[in-house]
Amino acid sequence: MAPIRVLIAKPGLDGHDRGAKVVARALRDAGMEVVYTGLRQSPEQIVQAAIQEDVDIIGLSCLSGAHNSLFPRVVELLREKGAEDIPVFGGGVIPEADIPGLREAGIAAVFTPGASLEEIAAFVREKVRRDNA
Amino acid sequence: MPSSWQRQLAKEISQIENMAPAALAAAASLPLDRERVQVIGITGPPGGGKSTLCNQLLQKLGEKARVAALLVDPSSPYSGGAILGDRIRMQSLVSNPNIYIRSLSNRGNPGGVGSSLVSILRAVMAWDFSHIIIETVGAGQSEVKIASIADTVLVVSVPNLGDDIQAVKSGILEIADIFVINKADLPGADSLYTALRESAQRAVEGWTAPLCQTVAHQGIGIDALIEEIERHRQWLLDSDRLLQKRRNAAKFEVAELSRVLLEKHLEKLPTAALAGYLSHRGGNLLKKLDAAYAEILNSLEEV
Ligand SMILES: Nc1nc2c(ncn2[C@@H]2O[C@H](COP(=O)(O)OP(=O)(O)O)[C@@H](O)[C@H]2O)c(=O)[nH]1
Ligand SMILES: [Mg+2]
Repeated sequence: MAPIRVLIAKPGLDGHDRGAKVVARALRDAGMEVVYTGLRQSPEQIVQAAIQEDVDIIGLSCLSGAHNSLFPRVVELLREKGAEDIPVFGGGVIPEADIPGLREAGIAAVFTPGASLEEIAAFVREKVRRDNA
Repeated sequence: MPSSWQRQLAKEISQIENMAPAALAAAASLPLDRERVQVIGITGPPGGGKSTLCNQLLQKLGEKARVAALLVDPSSPYSGGAILGDRIRMQSLVSNPNIYIRSLSNRGNPGGVGSSLVSILRAVMAWDFSHIIIETVGAGQSEVKIASIADTVLVVSVPNLGDDIQAVKSGILEIADIFVINKADLPGADSLYTALRESAQRAVEGWTAPLCQTVAHQGIGIDALIEEIERHRQWLLDSDRLLQKRRNAAKFEVAELSRVLLEKHLEKLPTAALAGYLSHRGGNLLKKLDAAYAEILNSLEEV
């Protein structure tokens, strides 16, 4: 069976990618191919990378507090490029109060620091399976 | 909004990589003998600066024409998954629409690249690139497969890894069309230069692999490297060797696809079917296999 391909990207200006790397490794250990693009990616760069890599799903990690603008911007650009079939999930330091707005903007799931790695891997697997069904 | 050509290419590559029969058949009907494109392989130790070099080459070459990179990283032997991180060195490039970058897992294959790489190459070639760069896993030994696939192989060495001698032993230096001494800003670069010139540089069929010194993260030495890459391409064309290279790539493709197909059929074979082989008819089976292979390979001439 073809492995799931995931792009893990870090939009925004904060310089911490430990969380993103931990998630990337967990998804690899769950058998997925994880493209990791490094720090400080613009939404444009993220969307172009996702298209070139033909990923099944994009995971965004943001600690800078700018998630309310950056996450929806990625979804918007995907739509502009005709790639709205690629789902987006997010994680990082995100206040509970922001989650409904992000979900509204098309973010498929939001994981706060309490989420377990198993939970995230299970979500990705289930989401991709359902979308391809 | 219609899908971009990059999206289409990206999807084709995935299907080939996943060995979808229809995609493999479609790829097989695309030519591998396009002489306008140069396939450049980059190999060398992990951390040697392969991705950083690739970034510089793409940036320079991408000013004038379409260029592509295929970046191979190893899969995890435990889960089969992989972290594909070479793009980290190429962040600024995605804004240039001439540049296509794709990360690939080697999907457990030894030899620095995956089984489907040549089939993928056919699909990429169809999109009119001037250069296609392949970065291999770079695990040290057994990186030699890239020599069967690329037109021009860059072997990257760096000072003071203590691997000058390792590299000589592993046979990796013998596949170099161009030696790149990267991290030339670090101490030890001069002695590496001398060591390579004395122990590795030799003329093979009229081509002596040149030595290029680079400081990849600062873009130093890249223009001279591109000149040597172009000079090698010209030499391949002038000496009628480019198509010979592509024939080698096609042979590699036949071998890899045969192996994958054989494995697929073996998986379906009920072990009961081997009862005869187990007891006494082994010799017969060998003869059958031999004849079947001979017939297939003969028929290749007619394709
Ligand atoms: N000092 C120095 N460091 C370099 C040079 N080229 C690359 N690097 C650094 O070496 C590290 C590994 O580079 P990378 O391109 O990922 O190597 P790869 O594993 O061979 O692809 C990075 O931190 C680069 O910034 C160079 O010429 N000099
Ligand atoms: Mg690399």
